[in-house]
Amino acid sequence: MHPAVYKVGLQYLSGDIWGGNARCIAMFQAFKEAIKDYSTPPEKTLIRDLTARISSYVSFLIECRPLSNSMGNAIKFLKNRIAKLPLVLSESEAKATLMSDVDRFINEKIIIAEKVIVKHAVTKIRDGDVLLTYGASSVVEMILLHAHELGKQFRVVVVDSRPKLEGQLLLRRLVRKGLSCTYTHVNAVSCIMQEVTRVFLGASSVLSNGTVYSRVGTACVAMVAHAFRVPVLVCCEAYKFHERVQLDSICFNELGNPEAISKVHGREDINYLDGFVNQEKLQLLNLVYDATPSDYISMIITDYGMIPPTSVPVIVREYRREHLWS
Amino acid sequence: MGAQKKSATPRVSEDPEDLARNPLQAILLADSFATTFRPITLERPKVLLPLVNIPMIDYTLAWLESAGVEEVFVFCCAHSKQVIDYLESSQWSSKPNFIVTTIESHNSISAGDALRLIYERNVIHGDFVLISGDTVSNMLLTEALQEHRERKKKDANAIMTMVVKQSKPSPITQQSRLGTDELFMAINPVTKQLLCYEDKAEYSKGFISLDKTLIADNPSIILHNDKQDCYIDICSQEVLSLFTDNFDYQHLRRHFVKGLLVDDIMGYKIFTHEIHSSYAARIDNFRSYDTISKDIIQRWTYPFVPDILSGSTAIKVERQGTYRASDVTVSRSADIGSFTFIGQGTKIGNDTKISHSVVGEGCTIGSNVTIEGCYIWNNVTIEDGCQLRHAIVCDGVIMKSGAVLQPGVILSFKVVVGQQFVVPAYSKVSLLQQPTHLDSDEELEYADNTSGTGEPGSDKLNGDITPDLSETAYELGAGGVGYIWSVFEGVQDEEWRQSVAPIPTDKLIKLMLEKDEDDEQLTQDGNVFSASGELKADSDDNGSGDDDNEDSGDDYVFFEKEVEATFLRAVNENVKVDHAVLEVNALRLSYNMASVDCAGAIFYSMMKLAVESPHNSASELHKNAADIITKWQKLLKSFLHDIDEEIEVVLKFEEMCLESAREFAALFPQILHLLYDKEILQEDAILKWADEKEGADAADKVFLKHSEKFIQWLKEAEEEDEDE
Repeated sequence: MHPAVYKVGLQYLSGDIWGGNARCIAMFQAFKEAIKDYSTPPEKTLIRDLTARISSYVSFLIECRPLSNSMGNAIKFLKNRIAKLPLVLSESEAKATLMSDVDRFINEKIIIAEKVIVKHAVTKIRDGDVLLTYGASSVVEMILLHAHELGKQFRVVVVDSRPKLEGQLLLRRLVRKGLSCTYTHVNAVSCIMQEVTRVFLGASSVLSNGTVYSRVGTACVAMVAHAFRVPVLVCCEAYKFHERVQLDSICFNELGNPEAISKVHGREDINYLDGFVNQEKLQLLNLVYDATPSDYISMIITDYGMIPPTSVPVIVREYRREHLWS
Repeated sequence: MGAQKKSATPRVSEDPEDLARNPLQAILLADSFATTFRPITLERPKVLLPLVNIPMIDYTLAWLESAGVEEVFVFCCAHSKQVIDYLESSQWSSKPNFIVTTIESHNSISAGDALRLIYERNVIHGDFVLISGDTVSNMLLTEALQEHRERKKKDANAIMTMVVKQSKPSPITQQSRLGTDELFMAINPVTKQLLCYEDKAEYSKGFISLDKTLIADNPSIILHNDKQDCYIDICSQEVLSLFTDNFDYQHLRRHFVKGLLVDDIMGYKIFTHEIHSSYAARIDNFRSYDTISKDIIQRWTYPFVPDILSGSTAIKVERQGTYRASDVTVSRSADIGSFTFIGQGTKIGNDTKISHSVVGEGCTIGSNVTIEGCYIWNNVTIEDGCQLRHAIVCDGVIMKSGAVLQPGVILSFKVVVGQQFVVPAYSKVSLLQQPTHLDSDEELEYADNTSGTGEPGSDKLNGDITPDLSETAYELGAGGVGYIWSVFEGVQDEEWRQSVAPIPTDKLIKLMLEKDEDDEQLTQDGNVFSASGELKADSDDNGSGDDDNEDSGDDYVFFEKEVEATFLRAVNENVKVDHAVLEVNALRLSYNMASVDCAGAIFYSMMKLAVESPHNSASELHKNAADIITKWQKLLKSFLHDIDEEIEVVLKFEEMCLESAREFAALFPQILHLLYDKEILQEDAILKWADEKEGADAADKVFLKHSEKFIQWLKEAEEEDEDE
């Protein structure tokens, strides 16, 4: 096991690195280190051996925390690049090519993609808007900050939920930049939705039937917004799109630590579930993601432009053609 | 008193059970013994000032009631009649299980006096809560009380528990969000005992001193600068007797707490109780008034929020923290922004914008008015087109159309601001004239010593005030009524620190730069002490200057000193003028200075001699200076070859008047005239100096103004010459 991969795995495990883009970038940086230090063992070819190596790294990372769809896409890309390496290349040339491919992926598919999304999304923010966001999406944060820099006059409602309370981090950063914010928990979303004019959401993945797979609670926010006739805009980079079709949140999901929902941090007095956790008849369900049906989504903003959820298969197809078959 | 105290102490410590049965009592000081809220407090006591439309004392009493206090003694001093009348007419007089008793005094000038008086009345029978009437809190007392009682049982010397709360002061301004100065507390983390309390730690010093026995006696000690003193104290009976024993204790913190901490004979101990999620803060300046009002509107003080406290009048909370009383008339086109309170019977006209403000009852606000971050009390009339930013407007004020209040303005009761008049930033306006310092000198002095934080630089209030500055009454535009209180020099710069207005960004930037410079200096010298300029000059001669610029500056300082010494010797030993000229010339060559520098240095020495020779009045000083100038004019003249050198002399003189020899400030024009008469300065030089100064900013032009007449005369004389 390469130490860089090991380190990233442990960081996933401890929760120090979270969020689709951050996890993906950290993984690729670790792979890059591993490729740099790689040397083909005698009697083996680089293409086969490195692919096997990467697979073993990936299975280690899965042990630490299940992969997200975006990471799956990224790994597929890397393996594809390895498989497509011309056999005439020397080892050092092959390594250099792969490393530059990895860098290009991070740069094009994540960093520039985010910038493009921001550029598209700020056109949807008008003076006097009240924007609601849920959780802490890095691209939504960039959109809000950019719109603020452009001098648009708007308010932000940050909706958050236990147990992760990621929204507080986002809130801190927004307030520090001088945005006027309201913070509330998802329980109050129907109350606050009355004054909201637009909902901006991040996504972990967009599936080919237009379902948005995102932090648990997103579906609830999107449905409430739909009921209040508030447009819901999902911001997602194209590399996170996935050809799978999913109809509910249960059949494919990640289970979080049940302890996290049975205890309240900082409130020792709420201990009603102490010693109850291992009861046979009790199941503590801490889902990490949920699926938002495409009916509740007005628009998906991606690096290819702003599209309705019904057009997702096109993006998936184009993306595959560009990166996997080329 | 001493005997009485001895009999009281054993009773308490012997029978703690008896103590627990006593109803919980509280002493509420309805006077802050400070002047920070002047001019408003000249007409109404501070505790009755409305805080989000409800008198401050109501917040305090409501909290005391909810915290389980059964008997409150309200100590009234200034405007005691108003406080008593208010309490009698309010709900507090008729509550079961909550008795409010007033204690009136007219000659108490500090919290110490108040507690001594209460001790004499012998009304406190056990532990009590000591609080001032301007405190807003929603903390639960039970836990703190429990802790206090248990400590008391174990250790009879644990007589007081102070409530503290986390609050990080801004690194730039060194003050908390309540506008109080940075506070240093040393606390034992295990026992929570308070070991050191330093609220006037000067940042410029860059250090605070701790008694080394503290470190020897305590296994661990934490020094906090991120704690805020909530001014809520749980005290045992001994506290009162201690005040009686130490008749010089005036201020609760500065004298009493520090006194106990220093005194190791009696061994009394003070402990702290930190609150985390609940709210507690005291209003002791305009900035904390602003901060706490905002906290109340944002409901951090729940359940002590306007819609719950004001039982009779229905106040509704709307979206974005807007509070609106039931019968408010608001034009459809008016824009009532977030975190705003609109009181009963208020009318608001077309296209008016209000945000982050409190508007009291019965106000009439015209059209096209902008109100931002203001506190407008009851029955205020604001006509069309006025603009108000971050101001406090008291009852009955009338603002005629188009008037503007710049940030930080305080308009006291019934002031009228004339049409289109712009009230400058940070000014305080009242119908009453500013009290002169002669009649209330003693009172003020005490007030200064006892005020919670005191205005920075308030010592100047008693110190050097030139009489002509203290009373300048300005008209408030056409039809305006009221005096703009003049601000004293020195205090003016600090006005923004504790004003209602947010700290302007340029101040922040300036402070940040200053801080950077300080840090740089610290790192450059590796010596904490050289942060102050004077020491630096001395320490540099062994430190062999590391910077070229500094070198030349220091050279000039040495040169000036040498010239001064030479000049003094010349005066004392009656050296001939020619010889003195020769000696100064020699110095000039050896230090590689220009004759401009010589002229400046000689003139400086002459003036310094004049100041230092004995004199009783300004006229004597003038005579001294005249004598010296007459005697040594030849020495000076021999270095005044051209106009630049003469200007240098004027500039030097101006600098002296500002810094080292302020006594000359008043004599500036006379001496200028004298120099002209003696033909030391030509009129061209003076006029050129005046021209140069014309473009400078106001502070720089003080002396130009003083000597305006003289310059005018010079100019006329010149014209006459030309005419001839």
